[in-house]
Amino acid sequence: MTQELSSLMDGELEAREAERAIRSCCGNEELKRKWQSYHLIGEAMRGECAMPGASTRRIMEAIASEPTVLAPKRPLSTTAGRIAFAAAASMATVAVVGWIGMQDRGAPAGPSVAKSAPAAAPVVASNVVPLQNVNDYVVVHRQMPTADFYRPVANQAAGGR
Amino acid sequence: MIRAAAAAPLLALAASLPVAADPGGDPLAWLQRATASARQSTYAGVVMHMQGERTTTSRITHIFKEGSEHERIEALDGPRREVVRRDNQMQCYYPDAKTIRVDKRVTARFFPSIVEGPVESIAENYRLALGKVERVLGQECQWIHLDPKDALRYAQRLCAELGSGLLLRAKTLGPRQQVLEQYTFTELRVGRDVSRGELKSTFLPQSRDWRRDVQRVEEQGPGSTGWAVTAPPAGFRLVGEMQRTLPNRPQPVTHLVLSDGFAAVSVFVEPMSSPPRTSEATSEDGSLSVFVRPMGEHLVTVLGEVPPAAAQQVGRSVGRQAGAAR
Repeated sequence: MTQELSSLMDGELEAREAERAIRSCCGNEELKRKWQSYHLIGEAMRGECAMPGASTRRIMEAIASEPTVLAPKRPLSTTAGRIAFAAAASMATVAVVGWIGMQDRGAPAGPSVAKSAPAAAPVVASNVVPLQNVNDYVVVHRQMPTADFYRPVANQAAGGR
Repeated sequence: MIRAAAAAPLLALAASLPVAADPGGDPLAWLQRATASARQSTYAGVVMHMQGERTTTSRITHIFKEGSEHERIEALDGPRREVVRRDNQMQCYYPDAKTIRVDKRVTARFFPSIVEGPVESIAENYRLALGKVERVLGQECQWIHLDPKDALRYAQRLCAELGSGLLLRAKTLGPRQQVLEQYTFTELRVGRDVSRGELKSTFLPQSRDWRRDVQRVEEQGPGSTGWAVTAPPAGFRLVGEMQRTLPNRPQPVTHLVLSDGFAAVSVFVEPMSSPPRTSEATSEDGSLSVFVRPMGEHLVTVLGEVPPAAAQQVGRSVGRQAGAAR
């Protein structure tokens, strides 16, 4: 449903799908909130948030409550597997670095994607690259490690004292 | 007329800058000026970064003194942490882990200092043009357009304040002109309003007994690791090659860095103790693409601010360099 909401916002749904998305959105508090936060995100992206303070917080909250196990929006190649993320806590930390987890909603892709993509429910993929592996490299690439990156080090330090 | 309207607070900045004279209608000169201004001027403010749908804010203080850049970046969202940078030397403070990480800037992007490569190589890979003059953050701002010459990089839109050339906003656009990533100042002070005291880490007093994690990087010349990207997308050149020791890895990891002057791609080659169970995998978020490919007893991970196809092309052309021991 979240996916549909996102697609609706992007104007990617056909009339009947859009109607369904709108109907369920308006009958569900949680989806209503999401719809609202998507607009806030959109506004922020378009630079329409005059004062980022309060809105940013709401956006961050909304984002933090999103599902975190994801699949790519579209098959990127015939042999493409999935990079699936299973640890919510790590995702949260990654987000903090200014990097963003792999989300199957949001990041706009081809217009046909919404229809073929799985719903934003947790995805169990057969080809799973451990979350930590990819996260570490994102951290190295952005050169903005998280405290999580240091947890083993910190534990050793505590134990050694 | 428009020029005359360049806002007063930045005039001080413009006056204090050794920036090139009016770049006129030359987008390359505008890019050069933006690079110089980000490096050589003094400013402080709050930067909002949007990648995919996630937003983070940080406070940045930048002073140029005695030929060096001094910068402090403080994360305003999530767990507290700070980066204190002098030119390419970075100290990252992590109070949660009581750790100071010492590292050298290689691929890190610190807005507004995002134009890294020589502007000439940018001009080889992007069509440059000037866009509109628009009011941004209360300032008159010139948009500079970088449109890719192929589908293996993203378009960039940079907004440079008229008087100083400092970037106030930068957007990365996808193939449908959708915004994938964006940086923008939401607050900005320049020149004498910024004091040197603001450069000091807020953790300085308490961090004396913190662990210092000196990131072990063995920077070597091209070809030293034995790995190479044999057929990168046009315009991407090797700008770094090193062995990195990572906290969560038993063995050093090879790290190659490619750049087209604007976008950076990291290639990691990691020995696997057991054969990887995965097949090739690709994912993207905002402007960041990730491609993972098992290769015999190694796992290749490519990530960068490029379209997935570019990450795949890089990943699929990673191989042992001719003559290297197997």
